[in-house]
Amino acid sequence: MFIEIIDVIISGLINGSVYALMAVGLTLIYGVSKAFNFAYGSLYSLGGYIAFLLFSLAWINNYLLVFCLAAPILLVIGFFLEKLLVAPLRKRDDWEIKVMMITLGLALFLDNSFQVVFGARMKSLPTMLEGSFELGEFILSYQDVAIFIFSIGGILLFRWFLNNTRTGMSVRAVAQNPEGAQIVGIPKEFVFAATFAISTVMVGMGGILLAQKYFITPTGGWDILVKAWVITAFGGMGSIKGSLYAAFIVGMLEAFVGWHFGMTWTLIALFAVLLTTLAVRPQGLMGKWG
Amino acid sequence: MEHKPIALLLAGIWGIVAILPLFFGSTNFIMHILIMCLIWSVVASCWDLIMGFAGIFSFGQVAFFVIGAYSSAILSAKFGIAPIFAVFCAGGIAAALGILVGLPCLKLKGAYIALVTFAVHMILEPVLKGTIGRALGTGGSRGILTIAPMKIFGFTFSSSNPVPYFYLMLLVAIICSAIIFIVIKSKWGTAFLALKDAEDFASCLGVSSYKYKLMVFALTSFLTGMIGGFYAHYIGMLSTRMLGIDLFVTLMIILVIGGVGKFPGAIIGAFITIAFNEMLSPIGPYRPIILGAMVVMLVLILPDGIVGLVEKLFPKKQHELTH
Amino acid sequence: MKKSLTLVLILFFSLLISSLSWAGEAIKIGVPLSMTGPYTDTGDNYWKGIKMAVDEINQSGGLLDKQLEPVRFDAQEFAPERVMQGADYLCGKLKVDSIHAGWAGWGQDVRAYGKYTAPFFADDGSQASVDVYRQDKKQYNNIFQLTDTGINQGKSMFNVLMALPYEYPNKKVVIITADDAWGTEVGDTLEKNFEKQGWKVAMHELVPYGTNQWGPLLTKIRKIKPAIIHVEIVSAQEVVTFFRQFMKKPTNSILSYGYSLVPREVLETMGKEADGLIGEVPTAMPTPQAPTPEAQAWLNKFNKTWSHLPQAGSWAAYSGVKTWATAVSAIGDEKKHEEISNYIAANGYKGETGWWKWDKDHVMRAGGDVPIAHYQVQNGEMIAIFTDPPAKPYKDYKFQIPRWIKK
Repeated sequence: MFIEIIDVIISGLINGSVYALMAVGLTLIYGVSKAFNFAYGSLYSLGGYIAFLLFSLAWINNYLLVFCLAAPILLVIGFFLEKLLVAPLRKRDDWEIKVMMITLGLALFLDNSFQVVFGARMKSLPTMLEGSFELGEFILSYQDVAIFIFSIGGILLFRWFLNNTRTGMSVRAVAQNPEGAQIVGIPKEFVFAATFAISTVMVGMGGILLAQKYFITPTGGWDILVKAWVITAFGGMGSIKGSLYAAFIVGMLEAFVGWHFGMTWTLIALFAVLLTTLAVRPQGLMGKWG
Repeated sequence: MEHKPIALLLAGIWGIVAILPLFFGSTNFIMHILIMCLIWSVVASCWDLIMGFAGIFSFGQVAFFVIGAYSSAILSAKFGIAPIFAVFCAGGIAAALGILVGLPCLKLKGAYIALVTFAVHMILEPVLKGTIGRALGTGGSRGILTIAPMKIFGFTFSSSNPVPYFYLMLLVAIICSAIIFIVIKSKWGTAFLALKDAEDFASCLGVSSYKYKLMVFALTSFLTGMIGGFYAHYIGMLSTRMLGIDLFVTLMIILVIGGVGKFPGAIIGAFITIAFNEMLSPIGPYRPIILGAMVVMLVLILPDGIVGLVEKLFPKKQHELTH
Repeated sequence: MKKSLTLVLILFFSLLISSLSWAGEAIKIGVPLSMTGPYTDTGDNYWKGIKMAVDEINQSGGLLDKQLEPVRFDAQEFAPERVMQGADYLCGKLKVDSIHAGWAGWGQDVRAYGKYTAPFFADDGSQASVDVYRQDKKQYNNIFQLTDTGINQGKSMFNVLMALPYEYPNKKVVIITADDAWGTEVGDTLEKNFEKQGWKVAMHELVPYGTNQWGPLLTKIRKIKPAIIHVEIVSAQEVVTFFRQFMKKPTNSILSYGYSLVPREVLETMGKEADGLIGEVPTAMPTPQAPTPEAQAWLNKFNKTWSHLPQAGSWAAYSGVKTWATAVSAIGDEKKHEEISNYIAANGYKGETGWWKWDKDHVMRAGGDVPIAHYQVQNGEMIAIFTDPPAKPYKDYKFQIPRWIKK
């Protein structure tokens, strides 16, 4: 029994780290610009497909190179998506719903374009690390460890960026008070676009990181979107720390419910916990912006 | 838009729709599409009422539709309730669930409400397929493959002869749109607008946001659930495949084309979207690509949909009418 | 406004109609398959078989001297109204003379197409479809199933598992299936059969599609140490992730994948890594060596046309078209739907491996010349090791004990 529980905790931790990486990008855009990005899942798939294309080039054979090449591509894509699709809507009163609609349209467009270009069949990427190590009764594959380290490392790096760089600080300033930030000379519009771009990079990188384990499919992003959405709301939209905690709670919850009650109950349990949390704390665990 | 043009527009739309069977009555395929247009126009109008007018980002409309459809099918099959009464009971069940979902939403905002309501959509499939659903009589993952057709005064509305059902649905759609129109016109509508534009101020003035929000949840889920019942008895079979992303996106496109908060834009949007969707169907995988691109373009170019375009094209007329 | 609206509407619907009407002497056949959404890939497999049959017939002078003209319809995700719309469009509007589908709606299709008379071929493999058919055999006389039901396929899987030349270390089995109609049908059948034989079903788990984290379930499995694990989820992502996570610390269990071995990405992704997995394909042409020279010729032709081996369903769909064409030639008029259906029900069709016969439920029951083939992955390839019913080894191919089973 004890060993089993440790085993389940390990699965929960690995899931949690994956979810954390997924949720941070979404919570960032919402926290800074109050925009909800429905195409978030499609951008996850986009990252996977970009890596797939890069790997099909003869001279690319390792993940480091793929990360270095994919990041700027994703950054540019994210930046222009915001400038072209989201920014023009911001002037309107009902821009929140319009942003949801336009990103939903974008998701439909992207997902089905993937299907036409790459086919409906799933694509796989080479594994980053082979093998696993055993600790007595427990087995951990190097792949999972790598995913764990990359996720947590990515988030910590991102926190450092927000707290210690000039751009990061202006992002925080805009998140706290857009008008105030503008008054002190922070280019609000640029910060919005930059946040969107950074979030695209984060989710796209997540797509690359996870594709080796979970593969790339044209519509695979929806699950990611829903999970990320649940976690950000649970942790408090806009709160990075909240998302981090929420991700691990959700990971653990899924692992234990799946183990004890069965996999069909995980989704129901997840939403039950979410609803209870929101009923008590409408802003989520650590949300600051209602 | 002001109220009078809405009423005129509604009369115009339904007038045109009413004569369509003269041209297409002999083609079951097109009649079937027209009936679906009528059904989706009601669902989309309800969605517009809650999202466009009341400003509540409810994403549970498809879920209430499916709940209504299943309830009506089960009520008529298990308890022998005549379909015509079963659809109203189904509306009642959907409304009760709507209030239940509405309660936690009262304190929430924006994307949170969207999530909570969408959660209903997400968990509906495992519930309907799982042990709870099977106990209720949903047939699990098989679905319900035999549902009694609608019967009124001994006349059976069967799907193989769609013209009578078309007029029945037209009547239902007219009544629903009239109800929505009356709601928008009444002090409810004013309260919604006040709450949407300045919630804090409105509640200071004594407009109870809780009461109105719950009422709009109840009303829209009642109408949506009821029309779901009509759908079930028309198609004669149900499965959880309705909960796929396809229908959700189609409804969203209807609103984009019709214009959010631009009643009766959703009705026009339904007819255009469904017809367009059918025309694009032969090109297979390119259809959703074109639809997606269209949504993006329309939101940017025509943010208020067709009705917004009309308002822009005839601003003078609008001006006169408002005075 | 009203005028322009009328214009727009008239324009839309007239376009709709004009795009649908065709001229010329051709026999139209309807092909409602999934062209978008999650079932696109299976739809593609069926289409390749249908296209091949149609091209063959057209190249050899057509049917009754008329060319066949397939009309495709996108069945999307098989929502009820979509299935009905397909029937109304193909049969009601275009008046096609036969319909060749694959997965078509698991019972919903029988109702929708049963309203019309044109012979309808589906590959539902579902008891639900048969149950609907039995409600009104006269009304649904035009419905033909190309594949046996999930119940019988489940039985067949069980028979072969019992017939394997392998001694099970214990009598415990774990069943994991998708929560769809197919998965539950197979899962329930397996459970019943295992229990009848005195086995213990230690775990019977339904999982939703999209499950890719198997940690909690594997924890339980590792404690149970079952002799057999049966996984029935027809989607590559789920079964590949399951296998890889299972292999981190395998138990001494035979991994039976049933129909889930079919999606081509399973082998494309894993190759030799998948060695040892077993699975089944109903209405299948056993590979790598076909049972008859004609069948081998067909395999080669398919391989040449599409540059890959046929997937499950391709041959069934191909044979459906051929069955219908044979019947039409015999009757001499493609419009005599009723007689054509009766002819098919009475006479069947002689295909590459032998006779196809439909039983009183209009289901092509497995067995005889078209049995269910059971495969094992060996050297990265699907090798037919058994056919069933009756369960017997296929040619000289041998079952190999999977590499993860330690003595």
